[in-house]
Amino acid sequence: MRFNVRSRSWLGLSVLLWTSLCLAPVTVTANEAAALAMPGPIRSIIDSACLDCHQGESAEAGVRFDQFQTLSQAAKIDLLNRSQDQLFFQLMPPEDAEQPRDTERQELTKWLRHELRSRNASKLDEKLREPAYGNYVDHDQLFDGSITTKPFTPARRWLVSPQIFHQRVNAIFKLDGRSRQSKFYGVTNPIVLPDHSGVRYYDTATLDGGHLLVMLNNAQWIADKQIMAAVHHEDDPRKLEFPNPKDKWLPSHAPEAFVAIVGLESMPSDEVMIAAIHAQFDNVLQRQATESELHEYLPLLKSAIELGGNVEGLRQMLISVLLKSEFLYRLEFGAGKPDAFGRRKLSPREAAYAIAYAIDDRIPDAQLFQAAREGRLQTKEDYRREVNRLLDDKQSFYAVADPTLSGITIHGSQVTHPKINRFFREFFGYPSSTKLFKDVARSGGFYDNLERGYSGTAGSVTGEADLIVDRILREDKEVFTRLLTTNEYFVLHTKSNEEGRKLVEQWRRAYEGLKDTDWKENTEQALLDNFETHQELFKIIRIDNIREDRRRVHLRDFSRFMVFFENTFGKGITPNTYPWFFHGGQKYRHAEIYNLPHVTGAGPLHYDGVFSRGEYPDIQTWDYPVEQPFVIKHRMGILTHPAWLLAHSQNAETDPVRRGRWIREKLLAGRVPDVPITVDAQIPEDPHRTLRQRLDSVTGQQACWKCHQHMNPLGLTFEIFDDFGRYRTKESLGDWESNLLIRKGKQSDPNQKAAPVDASGMLSGTGDPALDGEVKDAFDLIDRMAKSDRVRQSFVRHAFRYFMGRNEMLSDSQTLMDADQAYLQSGGSFRAVIVSLLTSDSFMYRKDKIGSNDD
Amino acid sequence: MTSRREFLSQSLAGVGALSLASQSLADQRSESKPPMRFIFMHKGNGLLPDSLALPTFDAEQAAAEKQKSAFVADLDEHELPGWMSPLAGHKQNMTILQGLSGKMCTTGHHTWCSALGAYKANERLSTIRWATVDFELADLCPSPFHHIELACFPSGGGNSRGNVNGIEKGFSARGPQQPNYAFGSPKIAVQELFKSVSANQDAKTRYQLERQVLKFLSNDESSLAAQLSGFEQRKVGNYADALNDIRQRNARVDAMGDVIRKHIPQLDAKYMAEDLTTVDRQDGLVEVLLSTLISGMTNVVAFTADELGTPYTGLPGIEGENVNLHDVGHGKSFGGVEALGIRDKVRHQHMTLIDRIVSRLKRVPEGDGTMFDNTMLFYLPNNGETHHSKGSEWPFVVLAGNNARLDIARRYIRLPGYNQPGHKTIGNLYTTILNAYGNPIEHYGALDVALKIDQTGGIKSFHA
Repeated sequence: MRFNVRSRSWLGLSVLLWTSLCLAPVTVTANEAAALAMPGPIRSIIDSACLDCHQGESAEAGVRFDQFQTLSQAAKIDLLNRSQDQLFFQLMPPEDAEQPRDTERQELTKWLRHELRSRNASKLDEKLREPAYGNYVDHDQLFDGSITTKPFTPARRWLVSPQIFHQRVNAIFKLDGRSRQSKFYGVTNPIVLPDHSGVRYYDTATLDGGHLLVMLNNAQWIADKQIMAAVHHEDDPRKLEFPNPKDKWLPSHAPEAFVAIVGLESMPSDEVMIAAIHAQFDNVLQRQATESELHEYLPLLKSAIELGGNVEGLRQMLISVLLKSEFLYRLEFGAGKPDAFGRRKLSPREAAYAIAYAIDDRIPDAQLFQAAREGRLQTKEDYRREVNRLLDDKQSFYAVADPTLSGITIHGSQVTHPKINRFFREFFGYPSSTKLFKDVARSGGFYDNLERGYSGTAGSVTGEADLIVDRILREDKEVFTRLLTTNEYFVLHTKSNEEGRKLVEQWRRAYEGLKDTDWKENTEQALLDNFETHQELFKIIRIDNIREDRRRVHLRDFSRFMVFFENTFGKGITPNTYPWFFHGGQKYRHAEIYNLPHVTGAGPLHYDGVFSRGEYPDIQTWDYPVEQPFVIKHRMGILTHPAWLLAHSQNAETDPVRRGRWIREKLLAGRVPDVPITVDAQIPEDPHRTLRQRLDSVTGQQACWKCHQHMNPLGLTFEIFDDFGRYRTKESLGDWESNLLIRKGKQSDPNQKAAPVDASGMLSGTGDPALDGEVKDAFDLIDRMAKSDRVRQSFVRHAFRYFMGRNEMLSDSQTLMDADQAYLQSGGSFRAVIVSLLTSDSFMYRKDKIGSNDD
Repeated sequence: MTSRREFLSQSLAGVGALSLASQSLADQRSESKPPMRFIFMHKGNGLLPDSLALPTFDAEQAAAEKQKSAFVADLDEHELPGWMSPLAGHKQNMTILQGLSGKMCTTGHHTWCSALGAYKANERLSTIRWATVDFELADLCPSPFHHIELACFPSGGGNSRGNVNGIEKGFSARGPQQPNYAFGSPKIAVQELFKSVSANQDAKTRYQLERQVLKFLSNDESSLAAQLSGFEQRKVGNYADALNDIRQRNARVDAMGDVIRKHIPQLDAKYMAEDLTTVDRQDGLVEVLLSTLISGMTNVVAFTADELGTPYTGLPGIEGENVNLHDVGHGKSFGGVEALGIRDKVRHQHMTLIDRIVSRLKRVPEGDGTMFDNTMLFYLPNNGETHHSKGSEWPFVVLAGNNARLDIARRYIRLPGYNQPGHKTIGNLYTTILNAYGNPIEHYGALDVALKIDQTGGIKSFHA
């Protein structure tokens, strides 16, 4: 299909036309649904605008309109969908073709939309529900107050998140508080979120065969545990024989009805069986079975017991409830009479779940359920009360922000509300750093890729980015600005400031008290001669006796500590609080990724082991700041944190295009068209040119620049950092392997050179002429963006998506404006944004609706 | 008293004769083109490239082998290494493939899904990036069970499974973050895979109960889906369809009841025991493997012959020893046999298993030939070239029938060494296989960031 002129105004028209058309009700007659014909006026538009290129055997891309009437219904719908996409994304008509009038575009768009939606066949509707298309809703309209439609969310089933799934399994066993399990031996999480930065948990996912396959195994394991708990409800679990010796967990809770059934040898009474069915519904779905469900499940249970006996029969009933789709969906349909705008409020029970899952991943707590039962989840004030109560609770949800970072030696940071922090992790996308595999040699040896039980250097710096987010959220002032501009960072912060201060002070005392002994020349004698006198000091360095059978270990520790102290205290610097010789301590050595000096004694300085762990070369090492966070030069906020820079880099190079796209879409509410399928551009390798020069050489061409103009001028400003995230002023040219050999003195290359980094760029799209314009580098760019209303509003839009699980619609305008104002009026409180969103009409109301989300 | 060897040969002949005499599934398919079958058999502790070098190489070949320079030798003109002697009769179907690298995989002691997925995986589900190659092939060669995985699980060594006799996470992956599950013992495999035709009353009952629940759920969810429309309908409808798919799969299995019943593995009680030697476990699992393939239950099987943490018992000559493969990797001897000798014994045992698989399939008529004509078997290490591997080499032994779409048979192929022009990775090999059987993927597997040559695509010279 060929149309014409692609311009920014046409883009606006397309989106506006689309969204306004969506407000029109769709009414379909039986005849319309049955036949798909092209009316005369539409035929005329297509004849004049498309037919030149799209007819006959030589039709471009094989798309033909001249045979429309002869096509099958499915082929017609396919053609209409393709046409609709081309129009909406302004891919047709091409710039050099004759353009239809605006009224013709409108008419054509309207017809396509009507025909497809009336048949539930509009693929564009589905596409626009996906995260990548959120920004197609006009930003200015969302925030200028012109939209007066009352906000709502379409009634929906919303697939649970991986975290909610896990907590639902905890709920089955009635596990709470400390009894809550972080993992279950026989349960595989069937839910997988998409793999991209930005909000990922949307209501668009559907259950499928993959989920079912995993759930069949899960249900079997859960039911087996439930049965075992019922059979052995009075036994000491420590004395039981388990079928699998590696899986000795046994739930402590067993419903009475289960116990009764497995204890009987005869057919249980209906009463007991009904109680068992209700109990399993309560375990799995936190509700009793309905009358109609009892009508179905009771015969099933009876029949199963007749066939297989009480235990097997009960097991199958338990499995059948566990495999209900309802277990994996959140239900939000609204209840009661619709209001004047056709909206229904969430039922109290639905509201309890919606609030609980907005703040955390667990099912509603007792107070929420009670409020629902007592009719105290009806009004905005009711919602506000419960949301504030949960946000004030600093204990119940306290947990590691990201359990996947925790391994054998590294542990993720703990926060009061992991789900709230998770928004910023997803928004910035910095946890994706752990998916990279770098050539360790290029780092000079400080970098580790992830391995078993260790998420690598990327995992460590991701945890350090978590600490920044957590600190800013705890203080809850100017949150968005500070996330973008803070220059205070955490590095190898393994202990709280107080613990660190205390430890370093103790170490200093030990060093001062023992340094004049003969520890270096005659370690054993020094230990024996001084132990009685300095028992307290030796205890500090983990020597609390002088038993002969422990002598070798004590001498090793004595020597290790003293050498470590000599190279830190002895040189006037503070040692880091987790030395290389502590368990896993060799992993704590990545200070260099922040352009800080090498960590004293920690691990290989060069990849080939020139300096192994425990060696102390004569170089300047890091004066560890016990008090953290601390100021680091050449850093500004999360976007210059190594975790974000790593996450938005490639294995061997930086990635200006991805970085630019991230800023355009996440901070500037902008759009970058999908990569055309015909594009397979690669950045050429050339040891004599910088990455910027090589990138420009392939994206500077007119056809490429149309898209890359939205990305490169933003992303290239980050070239002041290398692909590990280290600040730099020069970019090494040439093959890195050769450079490595040169550095090691194993090869000389007179041509080896570096080029000064050019990190200049251009900020556009803030809507503020005072901010848009040329920028010197990433710091300049970030500084300006932090002052932008549009950037702040873009944060709010993404927060909306996170808590609503969908893209915003124009009708959500009031909700977004309220949240933005709440942020401004509270001095930049993210909590204020959350409360505003969770008491909004968008959150509270549901409306039945076919198809799209673009009202 | 029947010795193990006698039992196996009797069992082998018995099942073979049964297959020949009976209306096998292959016969039932009569007119349709036979499907292709794939077996991936992998071992732990690396596969030493030197051990695959042919003892009869001439000086030039030996020098090339030593320098890891590319060359091809005709297997007909050479003898196989001693440990490969069980395969001497299959040289016309064999390829020894050397020189592939796998640095894009997790290496070292364990690789989890890496060896079959060509990416860095560990025990965390989040590291499973996509379906392993065997699952991709299972998509191309559909069957009622789609894919079956069998494993002599490790019970130690840092990668242990909870229950070596149970159904545990295997070494294949269904898709991103989706591990596959493998059967750990002949007993559990027979119980689960052949339960539809089980003679055991308890198993029959449980099978009926499972069917009943699936039917109930299928009706329940279908009825719910029928009340919905549009996108909401799909959210439940897909699930209802999936339940129906399983029921239909079960119905197909039921329809195959007679054939499956005739191919139930004929295993002596000791193979069905909970406490059996590793060698007996392997023998038993191979019987299951053959039964599922011959009956048509599946066209793709992954089989973990051993892993680094598999306690090796029952090795011929040192039957009484409990061999720790990790220790063997560090040069420890057992029962007076040096580590390299034990490696020989382990591999020799694997070759006897492969011989049994190939020989048996060659006796099952199919189309104008035999079932083996439509079979490819890949024997590979799950962690590269040695105990503490780096992925610099990843040797393969391939046994392929006449209808295989790769032109590599009867050859010893050493590909160019790492980073040399023309060097290939396991990703290139998997791409070649997938392309040959209808998956047009441009490149399967992660890329090796340190590799400077073009490493994408299949190996053109391998295409038939």
